[in-house]
Amino acid sequence: MDANLPLSAASSLFGSSFPWLSLIALLPAGGALLMPFLPGDGTDPRGPRTVALVVLLADLLLMLWVFSQEYDGGTSGLQLVERLPWVPLLGLEWSLGADGLSTPLVVLSGLVTLLAVAASWNINRKTQLYFGLLLLQASAQSLVFLSQDFLLFFLAWELELVPVYLLIAIWGGQARQYAATKFILYTATASLLILISGLALALGGDTFTLNLQELSQRSYAGSFGILCYLGFLVGFGVKLPIFPLHTWLPDAHGEANAPVSMLLAGVLLKMGGYALLRFNVQMLPDAHVVLAPALIVLGIVNIIYGALNAFAQDNVKRRIACSSVSHMGFVLLGIGAVDSLGLSGAMLQMISHGLIAAAMFFVTGVFYERTKTLSIPNMGGLAKVLPITFAFFLTSSLASLALPGMSGFISEITIFLGVTSNAGFTTGFRVITVLLAAIGLVLTPIYLLSMCRRVFFGPRIPALAVVGDMNPRELVIGLSLLVPTLVIGFWPRVAIDIYEASTTALAGDLASHAQIALGRISALG
Amino acid sequence: MSSAAELAWLIPVLPLAGAALVGLGLISFNRTINRLRKPVALLLISLVGASAVISFVILGQQLAGAPATEVLFNWASTGDFNLQMGYRVDALGAVMLALVTTIALLVMVYSDGYMAHDKSYVRFFTYLALFSSSMLGLVLSPNLLEIYVFWELVGMCSYLLVGFWYDREGAANAAQKAFIVNRVGDFGLLLGILGLFWATGSFGFEEIGARLGEGLASGTITHAAAVILCLLVFMGPMAKSAQFPLHVWLPDAMEGPTPISALIHAATMVAAGVFLVARLQPIYLQFPDVQTVIAVVGTITCFLGATIALTQQDLKKGLAYSTVSQLGYMVLAMGCGAPIAGMFHLVTHAFFKAMLFLGSGSVIHAMEEVVGHEPVLAQDMRLMGGLRKHMPITAITFLIGCVAISGIPPLAGFWSKDEILGVAFASFPLLWVVGFLTAGMTAFYMFRLYFLTFEGTFRGNDYAMRQQLLAAAGKGGVSMEGDEDHGHHASHPHESGWQMASPLVVLAVPSVLIGLLGTPWNSRFAALLDPREAAEAAEHFSWGEFLPLAGASVAISLTGITVAVLAYALHRLDLATLVAARFPAVNAFLAHKWYLDDLNERLFVRGTRKLARQVLEVDAKVVDGVVNLTGLLTLGSGEGLKYFETGRAQFYALIVFGGVIALVVLFSAFG
Repeated sequence: MDANLPLSAASSLFGSSFPWLSLIALLPAGGALLMPFLPGDGTDPRGPRTVALVVLLADLLLMLWVFSQEYDGGTSGLQLVERLPWVPLLGLEWSLGADGLSTPLVVLSGLVTLLAVAASWNINRKTQLYFGLLLLQASAQSLVFLSQDFLLFFLAWELELVPVYLLIAIWGGQARQYAATKFILYTATASLLILISGLALALGGDTFTLNLQELSQRSYAGSFGILCYLGFLVGFGVKLPIFPLHTWLPDAHGEANAPVSMLLAGVLLKMGGYALLRFNVQMLPDAHVVLAPALIVLGIVNIIYGALNAFAQDNVKRRIACSSVSHMGFVLLGIGAVDSLGLSGAMLQMISHGLIAAAMFFVTGVFYERTKTLSIPNMGGLAKVLPITFAFFLTSSLASLALPGMSGFISEITIFLGVTSNAGFTTGFRVITVLLAAIGLVLTPIYLLSMCRRVFFGPRIPALAVVGDMNPRELVIGLSLLVPTLVIGFWPRVAIDIYEASTTALAGDLASHAQIALGRISALG
Repeated sequence: MSSAAELAWLIPVLPLAGAALVGLGLISFNRTINRLRKPVALLLISLVGASAVISFVILGQQLAGAPATEVLFNWASTGDFNLQMGYRVDALGAVMLALVTTIALLVMVYSDGYMAHDKSYVRFFTYLALFSSSMLGLVLSPNLLEIYVFWELVGMCSYLLVGFWYDREGAANAAQKAFIVNRVGDFGLLLGILGLFWATGSFGFEEIGARLGEGLASGTITHAAAVILCLLVFMGPMAKSAQFPLHVWLPDAMEGPTPISALIHAATMVAAGVFLVARLQPIYLQFPDVQTVIAVVGTITCFLGATIALTQQDLKKGLAYSTVSQLGYMVLAMGCGAPIAGMFHLVTHAFFKAMLFLGSGSVIHAMEEVVGHEPVLAQDMRLMGGLRKHMPITAITFLIGCVAISGIPPLAGFWSKDEILGVAFASFPLLWVVGFLTAGMTAFYMFRLYFLTFEGTFRGNDYAMRQQLLAAAGKGGVSMEGDEDHGHHASHPHESGWQMASPLVVLAVPSVLIGLLGTPWNSRFAALLDPREAAEAAEHFSWGEFLPLAGASVAISLTGITVAVLAYALHRLDLATLVAARFPAVNAFLAHKWYLDDLNERLFVRGTRKLARQVLEVDAKVVDGVVNLTGLLTLGSGEGLKYFETGRAQFYALIVFGGVIALVVLFSAFG
C-alpha cells in the first residue's frame, strides 16, 4: 500500500533529522523523574503541579509546532520516522512514526492530559506521586499512538495501565480497590490476547519482524488471519470497550476522580479504537473485510445497550460512562463500514468523543467538588446557583447528543453515510443497521437531557450547600475542550485534513482486498 | 448594481456573531455583561435589523424578477465524497427571510418590555439572536443535509428558550419533551435523508426529485421504497410543525416566555416543517399516495387542535392549540399539491398569530401586576375579563387577530384559508368537510378567548378562584412567595409600555392587509413564487366557483362567532352545562386532550424507563457476572480475586506488568 517505506538506511538512525517524536513521547516521563526530588510532604500540590503543568504545556506546544511544521497531512504514509535497534535479541526496536491515524490522537492525548493536570488543582495526598503518575501516563499514551514496533507498542500499552490503576486505587472513591482491580484484571487479560496475536503475526511470515509497517505488508490468509483478528478484537475491545467487555468502565469511572475519568474517557478508550484501526484493519485487511459485519453488529449493540444502561444509571459519572459505551459503538460502526467515509467518521468520532467526554467528566468534577454528591436523585436546581457550570454541562451534553455545529454531529453523520454508501453490504443489512443506530440518536437526548433536568433544572434543593461558580482556571479548562469541539463542528476540515489521506488509503487498501476476496469466491463457485 | 443575494450569507452570520460574542462574554464576565442590558439589546437588535435590511433588499430583487442564486463550497470531504454547504436565494426563501427577520425584530423590541424585570435579560436576547441566526440559516439552506443541521439548531434554541426559566419544574419538563419529541421526528428525517442519498446520491431538492424519477422509471428503486423514504422525511415536519401525533410538545412549550411562543412556537420555527414540505415539492409531487397521507395528517391535526382549543382555560394554551390547528391547514394545503396556498397561509398566520401571542403576553404581563408571577393564575381566563377598558391597544389588536384568523374578509386569514379550502374541495372533498367545520370551530374558540379575556367584568381579585386554581395545579397557595414577588399588587391591570404596544400595532397592519396580496383573481404572492401557475390560476378564475365556497366559509365562521357571542358576551347560552351535562364523555375527551398525553406517558415514557432498568439489571447480574466468572476461571481459582481485593493491590499492578514482560521475553526468545 504505502510507497514510502520507512526503512531507508539513511533515516534508520537519528542522524537524518531531529528525533521529534521521541522528544514528544519522553518529555513528560523526564518530568516525572523530577518528582521524587521535589520538596514537600506530599500534601502541598503546588510544586509538583507546576512542574507537571509546565512540562505538559511544553509538550503540547511542541506537538503543535512539530506537526504544523514537519508533518504533511496530504500524504498517507508514516512521517517523522525514527528507528533504532533497542534490544536486538528480542528484535525490539525503538521505532516511532506518525501518520493520520496517530497524529490527531497524540495531540488529543496531549491536550486532555494537560487539562487533567490542571483539573487536579486541589489534590492534597501524595502529590509528587500523583503528578508523577500523570506525567508517566502522558508518555505512555504518546508511545502507544506513535510506536511502529509491536513490542514497543505492547510495552507502552502495558505501561499505561500502571498509572491508571494506581490513580484509581489511591485517589479514587469508596469502592476504589474493587474498581481498580477489575480494571487491571480486564485489561491485563486482554493484553495476553494482544500479545499472543501480535507475536503470532510476527512469527507468521517468512522472517521474524516486529515492525508494524513490515507486518502490514504481509498477507495472512485464511483462518490464521481470522484467529489473530479475533484475538486483537477481544484484546482491544476491552479498552474500547465492546459489549460484553464493558463492565469495568462504569465501575472505573464511578470510582476514579474527575481528572482520571477525563483521561479514561478522553484518551484510553481511543487507544482501543486506534489499535483496531492499526492492527485489525491495517494489518489484517482480509480478515477485516470478512468480519466487518460482525463489528457493525457489535457497534449497534454498543449504541443501544449503552444508551439504555445510561438511562437507568442514577450516578452522574456512571451515566456518562455508559454513554461512552454508546458513543464508542459509533466508532465500531464506522470501522465496520469499511469505506473511506466510515473510517473517516470513526476517526472523527474518536477525536470528538475524546473532547466531549473529557469535558463532561471535567464539569462533573467541578460540581462534585461543590456538592459532594453524584447521585442524580439527590440533586436538583443547581442551575440557579451554578449558572456557568450549568452552561458548560448543557453545552457538552448537547455536543454529546450530536447537535450540529459541534464535532459529534459530523462524525456520526459521516459514519451513517459510510454505512449507507457501502455497496459491499446488502440493502437489507444497511437498512437495519442505519435504522437501529438511529434509535441511538433518539435515546441519547433521553438520558442526557433527563440528567440535565434532574441535576440542574427545577427549584433549588436547600440541602445542597454550594458556594461559588466556576473560577477562571476551570473556565479555561472547559473552554479548551469545548472550543475545539465547536471549531470542528463549524469547520470539520480542521480535523479531517490531518487524517483524511491515511483513512482514504486504508479504505483503498481494504477495497482491493475485498476485490481479491470476491474474486476468490467467484473462482471457487 | 450587484445582486444582494451575494450578501445573503451575512443574514444568518450577523446575529450568530452577536450571539457568540455576548454568549462568550456571559460565560467569562457574567456580572459585567449582565449589567450591560441596553447595549447588548441594542447590539443584537441592530444586527438582526441589518439582516432584515438585506432580506428586504433580496425580496425586492426577487419581486423585480431576479434569478435564483446558489452558492456552494466544500464543507467536509473524504475520499471522493464531498459534503457541500452554502446558501440558496430564491423567491420562496426570500419570502421566508423577510418574514422571519420582521417578526424576530418586532419580538426583540417587544421583549425589551416583557423581560425588563427578568434577571436573565441578556441571556434571553442572546438566545433570541441565536435562534434568529439558525432559523435564517434553515431558510437559506440549499440541500437537505444543511436543512437538517439548522433544523436541529432551531430545535436546540427552542429547548433553551422553553426551559428559559429553568427553576420552574414545568418549564424543565416541557423543554425536555419538546427536544425529545422533535428528535423522534428527526430520526425519521435523518433516515429519509440517508435513504434518499442512497437512492439518488444527492442531497439537493431538485436533483433528488429528478433522479428519483429516473430511478423509478429504470427500476433501480421500487415505488414502495421511495414512498417509505418520502414518509420518513415527512416525520421531520410532523414533529417540527406539530402534526398529529407528534404535536404533543407544542402546547407544553408554552412554558417558555411569551415572546418566544410568538416567535418560535407560532410564527417561524413551527412553520419550518411546512416550509420544508414546500421545498420538497419536486419530490412529493411524484407520489400521490404520499400527498394523500400528508393531507390526511394535516386534516386530523387541524381538527384535533381546534376541538381541544374549545375547552382551554389557559389563554396561551388556547392559542397554542389554535396554532396546531392552523399548521394542520398548511399541511393540508401541501398534501393537496398546493404549496403556494400553504405558504400563503404560513405568511398570513405568522403575522396574526404572532400578534395574538404578543397580545396574550401583554395581557399576562398586566395580569402579573395583579396576581403575581404565577403562570397558573396569570394565564387563566377565569381570572381575566373586562381587560378592554384597561388595555385598549391590546384588546383592539387582539380582536383584529381574532377576525383575521376566523376568516372574515377582507382580513388576511380569509384569503389564505379560503384558498386552502378551495384546493381541498377540488382534491379531497371529504377532507374539505372537516376543514370547513374546523373553520367554524376556529371562529368560535377565538371569540371565546376574546370575550373571556377582554369583555365582561374583571375577575382577577376573586381570591376563592385563585385558591381553587392553585390547588388544582397542586401548588396549594404556597407559591405566592416567589422571590420575584414583592407582595404589593395592583387591583387592576394596566396597558403595557410602548415597547410592547408598538409591535402589536405594527403587526396589525399586515394582519389586515396582507391577504389582499393573494386574492384569487390577482395573486401577487403566487406570481412571486410561481409566475406561470399564478397566471394560469388568474385566467381560470371564475366568480361562480369562488363565491359559493367563500360564502360558505364566511357563513360558518359567522355562525361560530354568533355562538361565541351568545355564550360568552350575552350569556344567553350556557355551553358549559349544556355540553358537559349531556355529553360528559366528549367533554372529558377534549379536556384530556384526546388522552394522547396519557398514552404517551404510559406507553413511551414509562416503557423506556422500565426497559432501561431491566437492561441495567441484566448488565449488572448477567453480563458482569459472566465476564467476571470467565475472568476467574482463566485465573484458575476464585481465591485470586479475593486476595487482590484485600491484599496490596498496588503491587499487583506491578506483578501483572512484570509477568507480562516476562512473557514477552519468553516468547521473544523462542522467536
